Amino acid sequence: MNNKFIINFQPGSTMLHKLTGTTKVRMFIIFTVYLIMSWDLRLILPVTVAGIIGIISMKPNWKPIKFMLAFVIILNLFNLFLFFIADPDIGTKFCNSRTVLADLPGYLYLSGETLWYLFTRFIKILSSFLISIIFILSITPSEFAAGLNSVKVPYKICTVVELAYRCIPDIVRDYQNISTSMQARGVEMDPKKVSAFKRLKQMVMIIVPLLLSSFDKVGNIANAMDLRGYGKKKKRSYYAEHEMTKADKVFRVVYIVIALICVAYIAYKMLAPGYLQLWYPFA
Amino acid sequence: MFNNMKGRCIEMKKGIGKALVGEWSTKTIVTMAVGAALFGVLMVYGGIPIFSMTNLSTAMIVPVVVGAMYGALPCSLTLLIGNIIADLIAGNGMWFDWSIGNAVLGFFVGLLPVYGAYITEGIFKVKHAVIYAVLCIIGNIIAFGVVTPIFTYLFYGGELKVTFIMAGFACAGNIAVLLIVGIPVLFLLAKRYASRTNLTEE
Repeated sequence: MNNKFIINFQPGSTMLHKLTGTTKVRMFIIFTVYLIMSWDLRLILPVTVAGIIGIISMKPNWKPIKFMLAFVIILNLFNLFLFFIADPDIGTKFCNSRTVLADLPGYLYLSGETLWYLFTRFIKILSSFLISIIFILSITPSEFAAGLNSVKVPYKICTVVELAYRCIPDIVRDYQNISTSMQARGVEMDPKKVSAFKRLKQMVMIIVPLLLSSFDKVGNIANAMDLRGYGKKKKRSYYAEHEMTKADKVFRVVYIVIALICVAYIAYKMLAPGYLQLWYPFA
Repeated sequence: MFNNMKGRCIEMKKGIGKALVGEWSTKTIVTMAVGAALFGVLMVYGGIPIFSMTNLSTAMIVPVVVGAMYGALPCSLTLLIGNIIADLIAGNGMWFDWSIGNAVLGFFVGLLPVYGAYITEGIFKVKHAVIYAVLCIIGNIIAFGVVTPIFTYLFYGGELKVTFIMAGFACAGNIAVLLIVGIPVLFLLAKRYASRTNLTEE
C-alpha cells in the first residue's frame, strides 16, 4: 500500500522527468515489447543496466521502491520454484538439450538448462520491474494520456487511462480508511485467524462502501468534464505536452533504433523455425 | 409519466449492437476509469490467497457493477485497462496475455443487457441470474482456458503447462467470486435502481 508515494502529479526536475509524454510512453512500449520478445540474456542485460542507471539518475524516494523491490523478488523466487515443480523439464524445451546436474526425489531433477531458464526469467522480470518503476516515477497522468494519444489511441480511451491512473492514490487512501475503521469495529483481518471464505465476506464489507464512494464521484467528475466541453470534437490536444527538448530528440533516435531491432528480431524468429529462443552458453 | 413509459419502451427496443457497444457518454468514460482504477488496486491489494499464486480476487466485483450499468464493451475495456494498470503498479512485468483474457471475461460478464437484465431499470430476475451464472462459467473457460494460452504462446512462447495450471486456479477463484458475490450484488443494485425509477405498468 506504500504505492501512493510513487504516482506523482507534478513532473520532477531530472532529465528523465523532463521528457515529453510522447517519448516516455513510446519508450515504455518499445522496451516492454523488447523485454517480452527476448529470452536472450545478452539482449536483456543492457536493459537491466540502463534501468538501474535510469532509476538512480531520477533520485527517487527510495523507501517505497525498496519495499516493492523486495516484494517482487520474494514473490518471483517463489513463483520460479513453482515453475520448477510444475515442469522440471522446462529448460529443455527452450534449449533442446538436457544436462542433469542432480537427481531429486520423485519426478524432480535439476538440469542446467532449467536453472538457466529460471535465472533468465528472473532477470527478465527484474528488468521489467525497473522499466515499469521508471515509467511510473517519471510520468504524470496528463502526460500519460498525451503519450498514448501520440500512438493513435482514441482520445476517449486515453482519458479513461488518465483518469484511472489519477484515481489510484485516492482509491488506495479510501481503502485504507475503510479498512482501518472496519478493524476498529472489530472485524478480524488477520489471514491466520480466519478462513478464506470468511475473509472474502469481510473483504466485501470493505469493498461495498469503497465501490459506492468511488462510483458516487462519477457524476461530479462527468459533469465537470461536460461543462468544459469534453467530447464535443473529434480531436483533442494536451496541455501537458510540451515541445521536444534536446534529450527528446536523442531518445527518439534511441527508441527508433530499438524498435527496428525488435522488428528484425521478431521477423528472424518467425522465419527461422529451428531458432532456439533461449541463449544457453554452456551447451 | 407517459413520456417516461415511452422512453423506457424505446430503451427496451435498443438493438443488440447498442447493448454490446454501450453508450459512450462522458459518464461512461468516467465510470470506466474509476472501475479500471478500482480493478487495478483490488487486483494488487484485494486478493485473498487460498493457495499459492491463486487469489480469490475480489476485483471481480468491479466488472459486475460496470457491466450492469454500461454493457459489454465498456466492461471489457475496463478490465483490460485495469489489468494493465495493475501490472504497472505491481511491477511484476507486463502480462498482456492475462490482460486480454480478462478483457474477454469482462465482455461475457458485461453481456447483462443483451439478455434482458436491465439493472439500471431494476430488472434482474432469477432467470437472468441463471443465464449470468452460465455465462460467467463459459466466459472464464474461454478467457483463461483458450484465449490466454493462445496469447501466452504468441507473446511469450512455450510455458503452456504452467499457464494452464494457473488458469485453472484463476478460473475457479473468479467463478467463485463472480457467483457468490456477484449475484447478490446484482440483485441489490437492481433493487436500488428499481426503488428510484418508481414506475409501474398499468
